[in-house]
Amino acid sequence: MSSAATLHGADVHAGHDAHHEHHHHETFITKYVFSQDHKMIAKQFLVTGIIWAIIGGLFSVIFRLQLGYPESTFPWLEDFLGHWAKGGKLDPEFYYALVTMHGTILVFFVLTAGLSGTFANFLIPLQIGARDMASPMLNMLSYWFFFTASIIMFSSLFVQTGPASGGWTIYPPLSALGDASSGSKIGMDLWLVAMAMFIVSSLLGGLNYISTILNLRTKGMSMTRLPLTIWALFFTAVLGVLSFPVLLSGAILLLFDRNLGTSFFLSDIVIQGKILPNEGGSAILFQHLFWFLGHPEVYIILLPAMGMSSEIISVNSRKPIFGYMAMVGSLFAIAILAFLVWAHHMFVTGLNPFLGSVFVLLTLLIAVPSAIKVFNWLTTLWRGSIRFTPGMLFAIGFVSLFISGGLTGIFLGNSALDLHLHDTYFVIAHFHIVMGVASFFGMFAGVYHWFPKMFGRYLNNTMAYIHFWVTIVGAYLIFWPMHYEGLAGMPRRYYDFSNWESFKQFGELNQFISFISMIVFAVQLLFVFNFFYSMYKGRKVTTQNPWGANTLEWTTPVNPGHGNWPGEIPEVYRGAYDYAKDGHEFIPQNVPVGDDETHH
Amino acid sequence: MSAHSASPEITFHADHSGGTKKIWRTFWLLSVITVIELAIGLAIYNIHKGEAPNHTLVLMFKGVVCILTLAKAYYIVSIFMHLGDEIRNMIMTIVVPLCLFIWFIIAFLWDGNSWKNLRNTDAGSREYKTEQVAKPAAIEKGAKD
Amino acid sequence: MSTTATPTNTKWWNGGRSPFNASYGKVMMWYFLMSDAFTFGAFLISYGTIRFSQNHWVDPNHVFNSFPFAGHANLPLAFVSLMTFILIFSSVTMVLAVHEGHNMNRKGVEKYMILTIIGGIAFLSCQAWEWTHMLTGQHEVLVNGQIELWNTTVSHNPFGPEVMFNGKEVATPGPIAFGSYFFEITGFHGFHVFSGVIINIVMYIKTKMGHFDQRGHYEMIEKAGLYWHFVDLVWVFVFLCFYLI
Repeated sequence: MSSAATLHGADVHAGHDAHHEHHHHETFITKYVFSQDHKMIAKQFLVTGIIWAIIGGLFSVIFRLQLGYPESTFPWLEDFLGHWAKGGKLDPEFYYALVTMHGTILVFFVLTAGLSGTFANFLIPLQIGARDMASPMLNMLSYWFFFTASIIMFSSLFVQTGPASGGWTIYPPLSALGDASSGSKIGMDLWLVAMAMFIVSSLLGGLNYISTILNLRTKGMSMTRLPLTIWALFFTAVLGVLSFPVLLSGAILLLFDRNLGTSFFLSDIVIQGKILPNEGGSAILFQHLFWFLGHPEVYIILLPAMGMSSEIISVNSRKPIFGYMAMVGSLFAIAILAFLVWAHHMFVTGLNPFLGSVFVLLTLLIAVPSAIKVFNWLTTLWRGSIRFTPGMLFAIGFVSLFISGGLTGIFLGNSALDLHLHDTYFVIAHFHIVMGVASFFGMFAGVYHWFPKMFGRYLNNTMAYIHFWVTIVGAYLIFWPMHYEGLAGMPRRYYDFSNWESFKQFGELNQFISFISMIVFAVQLLFVFNFFYSMYKGRKVTTQNPWGANTLEWTTPVNPGHGNWPGEIPEVYRGAYDYAKDGHEFIPQNVPVGDDETHH
Repeated sequence: MSAHSASPEITFHADHSGGTKKIWRTFWLLSVITVIELAIGLAIYNIHKGEAPNHTLVLMFKGVVCILTLAKAYYIVSIFMHLGDEIRNMIMTIVVPLCLFIWFIIAFLWDGNSWKNLRNTDAGSREYKTEQVAKPAAIEKGAKD
Repeated sequence: MSTTATPTNTKWWNGGRSPFNASYGKVMMWYFLMSDAFTFGAFLISYGTIRFSQNHWVDPNHVFNSFPFAGHANLPLAFVSLMTFILIFSSVTMVLAVHEGHNMNRKGVEKYMILTIIGGIAFLSCQAWEWTHMLTGQHEVLVNGQIELWNTTVSHNPFGPEVMFNGKEVATPGPIAFGSYFFEITGFHGFHVFSGVIINIVMYIKTKMGHFDQRGHYEMIEKAGLYWHFVDLVWVFVFLCFYLI
């Protein structure tokens, strides 16, 4: 009997009297380091993500410095970067390394692991009414694989020849040939090893999230009563489990090309006047494999933000979410389409143009579920009694950014227009708004909203409002002008634009963008300060349910122990969005349906 | 069995008391399909050896082999992995995501075919081919590989 | 096994139970295998893509035509058939072990696990022989107007189109992607077989020590079995892609 319980890790607590679970002797190591409690693992992901975000953000400030002030030198840069910034001038090689690592860090380490790692771990068991993840052990391993990946990626910043510098998409031949650039040497190998670790981590996490959501829902928590956050995290996990292996395949083939002399991605290459023996491979094949992950990856980043924003908007408008089933359906549609559209990143790389036109059609279809979601968010807000909490502001900010960034996606999804816009600042503006900043807003919304649950304290509101307003205004000021630069043909990934007559006109604009980006970065540091300050000194949460929300996490004690509910797990009798119903402001999910209640 | 049913996840226990007859029948089925596949493989070999290979016939044979392979996969998954004994919900969640392979395969092979057409028409990249100097001697290198 | 409850009226998705009537461990195993299917799928589809992009491809019957101790006899497909049957047979013994596990018959499980492990090791040995044969077997190739002796490696393929040279037919260098993909994919599959054997050995030891009797069920054997059958399943497709078409 007892050994059966260890097999079904999560049922341990259900089988025994949960009270006793809390009084297990916990050392510092088992509680804070090798913890198997999903809430602690979530916090580990969050703090690691924040550290990565600071590093990744700092990189963008440094290369923006180069783009905004190409003629100036910054002696302090040399103190900081050594031979990569001789005389205070950023080295071109290192500029590419910075761009590459900025992308890699923010896409994978912050917005994948930091975002869905944090909130999937934290919210799934709490919101579906489970004591913990299905397998707390694998969950812990998931974090430690991520940690190992982080260490390896971080150490690659310090190797002699510099970190990987072929762009975060690591296209061969730049990534396949060690002689191609200094960043193609050991930095690239470390990148690939770190990503392999990262893929293992996301796989362990994803399998856990899926089986927990399917198998461990509490009584009455049918799929159609799941909060939208959980639906979003569910689809995110499915996307990760099915698409990351394809990147793993690509990475393994790339490692073969690098080290064993195969020609999977190489053909007809002359390097420094020497003809390489490679033949028959195709660099486009790697792009196919990469984007088969890469496009779902965009939604792995975006869906959790969508789910959390839906939740927060509904709670703080004190209104049911408009069109719950349509929201779920559009999440599903987005998840399916995410797998069918990958080649729209490759319209100008030599893809068969007719095949490209099929991808155009599939890509433009994404506009439909996206529009449904936007419509439903707006109609949820419509005539609600809105509370502008910081979390709510960020959720509304997410919707705004999703609209502005999503619209330019329709331009880029057209292969005919993409011929002109590809690899320009228009693309940078598009994906930074819709995927980067928007997801960050979802993440901030989640942190502000669930911080009381995580740490039993509130974040400081004044700092939060400053953070919000500077960030949203700053984000638009940074990325809006880039659309114009892109339309004018300014290409991305260039070290210096001042040599071109046609791009010289943007010198001052670039300076302006760089200046704003520094301000926005500084405000993020304010958020980090707020985060750590409030963890210890913030106002204490006194009620179980400070936001008046319906979902189950607010039925736990203010500081839930391992096992979440001290007594029985609550049963669920209704959907997550019974706000402003029958004269009640809100009716939590665990309140039984009364006889006099109307049915929707 | 009591401990197993202690898990609240399991609603009822599937009946596994049936004999091993089904397993052996599947084994013979798989063996027969494999033998047919081998026969077709040898037939293709002999067609290729002939003076004027009939490419349509070869292509047809290859199609048949693919279908037979899918049949084998079906039997392995359904009988050996017991997916056929699971309830419908489970079967659907396994089978439906695999449909993603359809577009995965079509799009990739389509593009592969178009690279061939590009290669055959792009004179520029062929020129290097003819100029290409000796590949590193294979025999010593082979041992290292 | 005593329950006779009919599943027809059960509200599967309403929470408090698994919608699949399966433990989370089994669900996780299935999704892991799905994920792994995409890894292998990506490899095989890449192989197909490159093959479609080539004007000439290798005829497998020329490459895989030897058999241990058979000298230079031309026996196309013979050895790989042996490998296939070994793997199918070890799949059968695995499913029999799972069956015995359902009946709580420890001795039966032990017997069939041993047979499965032997099958796995036999398959790996065959693969080792085949790799050695390919890496060391030399073939005449016409390179730059001279005949060289090549073996098949990840970067050399002596099975290109044949041309007339000094009055006899000689092969030219073939697409090197053939060897690259062959060694890469069979290697990755072999790695899976290897880890499957390790898992099976661990399961055998656990059975022998009576862990599953104490636990009251042999679900671990079932999960190991899923993995093992998946390895067999992948081989079915590797067999198709490299040896048959």
